[in-house]
Amino acid sequence: MSDGSEILLSIRDLRVEFATEQGVVRAVDGVSFDVHAGETVGLVGESGCGKTVTGLSILRLVPCPPGRIAAGQIEFRGQDLLQLDTRQMRDIRGSRISMIFQEPMTALNPVFTIGNQMVDVLRDHEKMTRRQARTAAIEMLDKVGIPDPAVRIDEYPHQLSGGMRQRVMIAMALSCGPELLIADEPTTALDVTTQAQVLDQIVSLQEEFQMAVILITHDLGVVAEVCSRAIVMYCGSVVENGSIEPLFEQPRHPYTAGLLNSIPRIRDDRLGKLPVIEGMVPDLLQLPAGCRFADRCGRAGAICIESRPQLNDGAGGQTAVACFNPIDVQQ
Amino acid sequence: MEILQYSVRKLIAGIPLVLGVTFISFLLMVYFGPDKTYELLGKNPTPEQIEEVRRELGYDQPFLTRYALYVQEIATLNFGSSESSGELVSSLLARTIPVSIALITPGFVLGNLLGVLFALIAAYHRGSWADKFIMGASAVGMSISFLIAIIAFQIIFSSNFGLGLFPVRGWNVHSFGDYLSYVTVPTLATVFVALGYNTRFYRAVIVEEMTRDHVRTAKAFGTPPARLFYKNILKNSMIPIITRVVFSIPFVVISGSLLIESYFGIPGVGKVTFDAITSGDQPVLKAVVGLTAALFVLAQLLTDILYRAVDPRVSLT
Amino acid sequence: MSNGVADLTANGSELDSSVFGDSLWGKAFLKFRRDRAGMWSLAVVTAYALIALGVWTGVWGTSWADVSGAKWAPISAEHWLGTNIIGQDIFERAVFSTKTAFEVGLVVAVLATVLGAVLGAMAGFFSGSWIDEIIIWLMGVLDSIPFYLLVAAIAFSLEGNPYAMHIAMISTFWIGTSRLVRGEVIKLKSLDFVEAARATGVNQLTIIFRHILPNTFHILLVQATITFVAAIKSEVILSFLGIGVQDGISWGLMIAESTFEVLAGFFNNFLAASVLMFGLVMAFNMFSDALQDALDPRTVSG
Repeated sequence: MSDGSEILLSIRDLRVEFATEQGVVRAVDGVSFDVHAGETVGLVGESGCGKTVTGLSILRLVPCPPGRIAAGQIEFRGQDLLQLDTRQMRDIRGSRISMIFQEPMTALNPVFTIGNQMVDVLRDHEKMTRRQARTAAIEMLDKVGIPDPAVRIDEYPHQLSGGMRQRVMIAMALSCGPELLIADEPTTALDVTTQAQVLDQIVSLQEEFQMAVILITHDLGVVAEVCSRAIVMYCGSVVENGSIEPLFEQPRHPYTAGLLNSIPRIRDDRLGKLPVIEGMVPDLLQLPAGCRFADRCGRAGAICIESRPQLNDGAGGQTAVACFNPIDVQQ
Repeated sequence: MEILQYSVRKLIAGIPLVLGVTFISFLLMVYFGPDKTYELLGKNPTPEQIEEVRRELGYDQPFLTRYALYVQEIATLNFGSSESSGELVSSLLARTIPVSIALITPGFVLGNLLGVLFALIAAYHRGSWADKFIMGASAVGMSISFLIAIIAFQIIFSSNFGLGLFPVRGWNVHSFGDYLSYVTVPTLATVFVALGYNTRFYRAVIVEEMTRDHVRTAKAFGTPPARLFYKNILKNSMIPIITRVVFSIPFVVISGSLLIESYFGIPGVGKVTFDAITSGDQPVLKAVVGLTAALFVLAQLLTDILYRAVDPRVSLT
Repeated sequence: MSNGVADLTANGSELDSSVFGDSLWGKAFLKFRRDRAGMWSLAVVTAYALIALGVWTGVWGTSWADVSGAKWAPISAEHWLGTNIIGQDIFERAVFSTKTAFEVGLVVAVLATVLGAVLGAMAGFFSGSWIDEIIIWLMGVLDSIPFYLLVAAIAFSLEGNPYAMHIAMISTFWIGTSRLVRGEVIKLKSLDFVEAARATGVNQLTIIFRHILPNTFHILLVQATITFVAAIKSEVILSFLGIGVQDGISWGLMIAESTFEVLAGFFNNFLAASVLMFGLVMAFNMFSDALQDALDPRTVSG
């Protein structure tokens, strides 16, 4: 972990519940982690593991109903976001913490120009005249690599390509100089070449703006490329949390190891024989009492069925892991 | 000019529709409509007299010739005089259409405005008791027949057994005060009946918009609720709302006023039309049918132009 | 579709399950059973249906036309809801009208839905062709004639035919169903099993009616309930206008009759018909909503 630097965001025992027709589902169940100022953290897991809900919880955007943040604290610079009133929360959204979403095609309001939307955001959070805000918006569009920003600013979202729209989202998200950017699968919906460009853009802007980034993704390759630390989630809780190198070189949680094994490698000649993790993600309505990965895990013992492992501290350069029987680090 | 070109194209494209409407009205109201031969004849007519009258009425002409004549009369606005009253059709319509519009407008406007208002309350408090109450009341309102609502409101507000506040029936309007006293009960009944349907429809539209991605984006950027409502929800709901409002105008003017006018004995265009059907008054029918079809094509054009005004993705091509 | 083309022509119902997942109807049934409002409304509709069945088989409601009391007799043991202006028993008339309502509702709902399904499926399957164009044109034309005018015109052109009202309603109520079915069929016709059937040279009409239409049944069911309600509500207004039920008695005729009575302070006729009609329409609306919820594929699979 990036020791020494200041803790920006600290999530403790977060629990988010969704009311469904079959009963209450705990989409996020006891998640804790810290984000330090200026670092890039990957929040990784399969779809449905609670990573997006965790991201939405930080800005209190979990759709309610049916969702509800049932317990926990989300401290941002020592202030619990869950205790703020809606007005204070609004001042933080888009200004000190920004978020960009997976679907650039639908994330912008289709009936207003991008300039109109960017000016609104700027004027909500900064003391600016309409003209100043417009100039600032054009500057931001230029920074994210939009050609002809002074022309493009008066276009509607449908006139832009997917990659362009995601850049506009990034420009909007960074326009007020946030300390934390939450990027929820920002490149998943884009084609491969655009993905790389947008990702590079986020990295270079992160350095320029000195902000922390939480990158929510299912793509371990992306994490390895841009993050300094990764948090692996499974079934609503964190199973492993550590710096990229130990996590990728010597994963300790069997689930992380399984995930890493299932990434295709070009060097590997035996294409088509990718190892997969056997079994199915358990039904969130009928979670086992013990470790949620137990019935898919080759290393599970009696204790794994009976009780739930807690995330340990991960001292000595090792990753923190929630496992009774972690994979031993090879000496 | 884009809009003008588009309008011309659209009006030309509306011709098949107008032809269809005139064809069906011709078929039902003229070809299979009331046979007026014997009305115009004295007692015990001779076959020659019958022949003579039928020729005058054009009944001996082939189907297509009669239809072509019918369309020609509509196209040239040559309606002539009402067969039952002898009044010029143009002056008949000029007299009755304003009455219908004055009668129906308050209920139409209030029914839609209140519908949107209740829908907003319900949608914003989705799942709460307020939502359940509003939607429950809508379901009840939707299950009450228009006629029953009219009678009930008449009993409650106009009759001696109720409050007796307003005239029981008729339309004797000479001042704004008269207008208010005659229009109130019909308006209450119209609003009551329209509200259930409107609220349900608008709630569905608004809920759909509220769950869109761009609304979440706006929230994530700290957009204040008033602007979120106006820019993200209302502006994006305008297409279904415009469609519903504009397309109901032609019907509200004729159909919607028909029942109210018949029940309260108000001399509007709905009642005139209904009487024309029952008596087979061709000139009046021709005018009304032509007018509705034209209104419908205009409504289509109007909605398209309004779509363009509210949604930049719509192009007028 | 792993079972290939061989059994494509064999059995339509096997195909339905492969398109929608094995238990759409099963799941919908379970979901409906859990819906308390839906179950209650179904019970009320069933009760009305039994009343109508009793009238139809001659068990009760037989003396609706008899003059059995004085003018406007009050509520008594003999006349549960009093009598009308010529001394007929209002209770008997209201009960008999239940049968009229079901008759109008069922005839119109079934025929309009069938017509809408057939025309909608044709338009959807041949979308873009002249068949589609004509059907769309017809829908647009009928849509742009005010409903009551069209009904009045049909009623008068059929000159006292007792089914003029039914015909008029059917000729407009099919349109909504037809539009929905058309859209659904356009979606369905690009699915594998239809392509496969086409490739093997199955007759087009067979494809439409054996393979595609059965898969729109959930839409048709909901539309039929909506049409049923629309028919009952229209009957009341048409009967008041004098172009509705021609012989027999209906809630609409009772209400039309009562328009003079209420101003004289006699409300039994009006209330009896209104309350009975409200109960059936409300229950049917709720039933229709519950059915729609249960059959919505988005919520079934979720």
